[in-house]
Amino acid sequence: MRIGRQRNRRFAALCLAVGAVAALALITVAGGLWGERALETDFSMKNLPPSFRYPFGTDWMGRDLFVRTVAGLSLSIRIGVLTAAASAAIAFVLGLTASLGKGADTVVSCLTDLVMGIPHMLLLILVSFAVGKGFWGVVAGISLTHWASLARLLRAEALQLKESQYVKVARKLGKSPVYVAVKHMTPHLIPQLLVGTVLLFPHAVLHEASITFLGFGLSPEQPAIGIILSEGMKYLVMGKWWLALFPGALLALAVILFQAIASAASSMVDPGQAHS
Amino acid sequence: MAAVVLAAALEGCAGPAGGAGQQGKTAAQEGAAAGAREDVTVVMGPSSEPEAGFDPAYGWGAGEHVHEPLIQSTLTVTTPDLNIGYDLATKMEVSEDGMAWTVAIRDDVFFTDGEKLTAKDVAFTYNMMRDTSLVHDFTMLEKAEAVDDFTVVFTMARPYSIWPYTMAVVGIVPEHGYGPDYGGHPVGSGRYVLKQWDKGQQVILEANPGYYGEKPKMKKVNILFMEEDGAFAAVRSGQVDLAYTAAPYAEEDIAGFELLAFESVDNRGFNLPAAPAGTAGEGGEFIGNDFTSDVRVRRAIHLAIDREAMIQHVLGGYGSPAYSVCDKMPWYNEAAEAPFDLEEAGRLLDEAGWLAGAGGIREKGGEKAAFSLLYPAGDSVRQALAADTANQLKKIGIDVKIEGVGWDTAYSRAQREPLMWGWGAHTPMELYNIYHTAPGKGYAKYSPYANPAVDRYMDDALACSDWEGSYELWKKAQWDGEEGITWQGDLPWIWLVNIDHLYWSRNGLKVAKQKLHPHGHGWSVVNNVDQWEWE
Repeated sequence: MRIGRQRNRRFAALCLAVGAVAALALITVAGGLWGERALETDFSMKNLPPSFRYPFGTDWMGRDLFVRTVAGLSLSIRIGVLTAAASAAIAFVLGLTASLGKGADTVVSCLTDLVMGIPHMLLLILVSFAVGKGFWGVVAGISLTHWASLARLLRAEALQLKESQYVKVARKLGKSPVYVAVKHMTPHLIPQLLVGTVLLFPHAVLHEASITFLGFGLSPEQPAIGIILSEGMKYLVMGKWWLALFPGALLALAVILFQAIASAASSMVDPGQAHS
Repeated sequence: MAAVVLAAALEGCAGPAGGAGQQGKTAAQEGAAAGAREDVTVVMGPSSEPEAGFDPAYGWGAGEHVHEPLIQSTLTVTTPDLNIGYDLATKMEVSEDGMAWTVAIRDDVFFTDGEKLTAKDVAFTYNMMRDTSLVHDFTMLEKAEAVDDFTVVFTMARPYSIWPYTMAVVGIVPEHGYGPDYGGHPVGSGRYVLKQWDKGQQVILEANPGYYGEKPKMKKVNILFMEEDGAFAAVRSGQVDLAYTAAPYAEEDIAGFELLAFESVDNRGFNLPAAPAGTAGEGGEFIGNDFTSDVRVRRAIHLAIDREAMIQHVLGGYGSPAYSVCDKMPWYNEAAEAPFDLEEAGRLLDEAGWLAGAGGIREKGGEKAAFSLLYPAGDSVRQALAADTANQLKKIGIDVKIEGVGWDTAYSRAQREPLMWGWGAHTPMELYNIYHTAPGKGYAKYSPYANPAVDRYMDDALACSDWEGSYELWKKAQWDGEEGITWQGDLPWIWLVNIDHLYWSRNGLKVAKQKLHPHGHGWSVVNNVDQWEWE
């Protein structure tokens, strides 16, 4: 009876995760295909409220806001995947490095504290500006700022593993710290890494939106969700609510979907939750 | 009453030069207007706030955006038809060779600290501007000297026939009261004194009680600095009297306010590099663009743009077609005006070898007819103009990609790719800056182009001893029947529109007649705030 219910819960989580992944994949693909359409302007169709033809209305240059929003989210998701993967890789390497010895651990802790000590947004703007703005500026900025909290988590895990019997035995048998880290610790860190990576997505997506909103990221004709929102905000005062509401709602939805995937993933791979 | 107000409004900026005839009328008006408000609150954009204060050496009046300095007096003024009138000056003579300007000034002018304004102050101001101004060109001035208390002589380094237009924007500062903190505590002899300046927020000006000209009708002027949406909200809540606005807001209705649209020479247009790609630039970098280096392509682009449609699309109708950088100025050559002619544009492209290709985009030897049109990121009007240009050029088979860029890279990229610019000033020097070969260089400063014939006309115009006579030469530099920079000629720049400057104005506020506004949607509107009134 208990086992049956638990299986159901895991099955439900799996369904939810698959559904969310499918929805996000659909947005990503559709947005990718609409890249050109999202830039098209038609000045005879500007500032139209939502209608059957334009579900999200049109903006001040007569662009289809639905197409633009989906293309923007698609961009956000692609940036999110890229940066979450890069951040996770950095975090993983640093987490393992911490287990190699006292000196390495000090360096990793210092680096983590340093990055966490500087306000996120500030560092993000600085890095993306230094790299030369544009798409790769945003990617580099987010990748280089989001690894810190995951690295700290993995480091703590690695240090804990270091004290365990089997790792100590392996060391006594003459295995090198690097061998131990790769062979014996990595399998235990993978579940943490997986969940941590998925949890990075919403963060990365929101920060991409913030930096493009502030105008430090992409060129203003590009369909990025932050650019759409900052343009829409100018028109709020004139009562053109649809310019900000729909893109904002869709962004929130995407973030919630990522969150759903993350919690489903953690309930499936985290041994600590297997009996809840 | 209405007739009197109208008469005063029409006289516009002639104010300070006016004689005794106006004195009586002023008194009559003061009587009639008793009890009415005598202050006004005006909103400008945050970029209009003078960063270094009200010091002409740091761009106050004589900067990137020229306007009357209000706090200081100038020697001359530009009249409503953009000829030259007098403020401090009473007489002005230029030597036959154009190398010396002798200016006599009024003898009844005092600074607001009580000291008399003499030719010494004038000479000090100009010599100081020549040495320190980073924002206005003074290389043509060798020195200024006071020959007696009320006569100053300018010795020029080279002839400069349009010197009176420079004299119209340089505010005279007192020699005895000028120092590093002048910008924050300016002492002048103009219509207003600076009462208060809260940086980042507001400037309060009060009428100068000792002013030598017609007494300002507006006794107090508050200037606030706000973004467009903030200005709109402030108007809607009725907190301000006059606020700048932009076309997207103009469709709204605000009770108690009317929309004012002032004509301008605040133009927008883009450069077409007139040298082939791979041309060596000054710093060794490569400049030029193969597609736009063909004059037939440039002409086709010029003829294919429907400027009236663009004004409707982007400016909501608040603008006028632009065919040159100086439309409606006394030195404008009407030959620049071009018809909208898609057929002729298509014929020119055919002739140039760009033939119809796949997807409606023309091709030549496998290459597509295409270019990137850059615009300054953050300027939504220029972005929309670039987008509409792209839409219109698609009709003749040219593929235009638009791209927003920062000013850090825009200048150097414009040497290779078209960029959407904004220009427009009350001086023919604008033509020189854009089309004349940069001193000591091979090409014009902002976009690769050079034509010795055009250069010669402009050099002659500057060497002319009579600035009104020089207008003919400025016109010939644009088109002399054979050569020039208009569409019949070399056409290194395409001009699109002049943007009307829009303002929300509280009902009852009588804004005096405006001169054609130059580039910059800021201080120009208050050039004659002393003549505004409430009814």
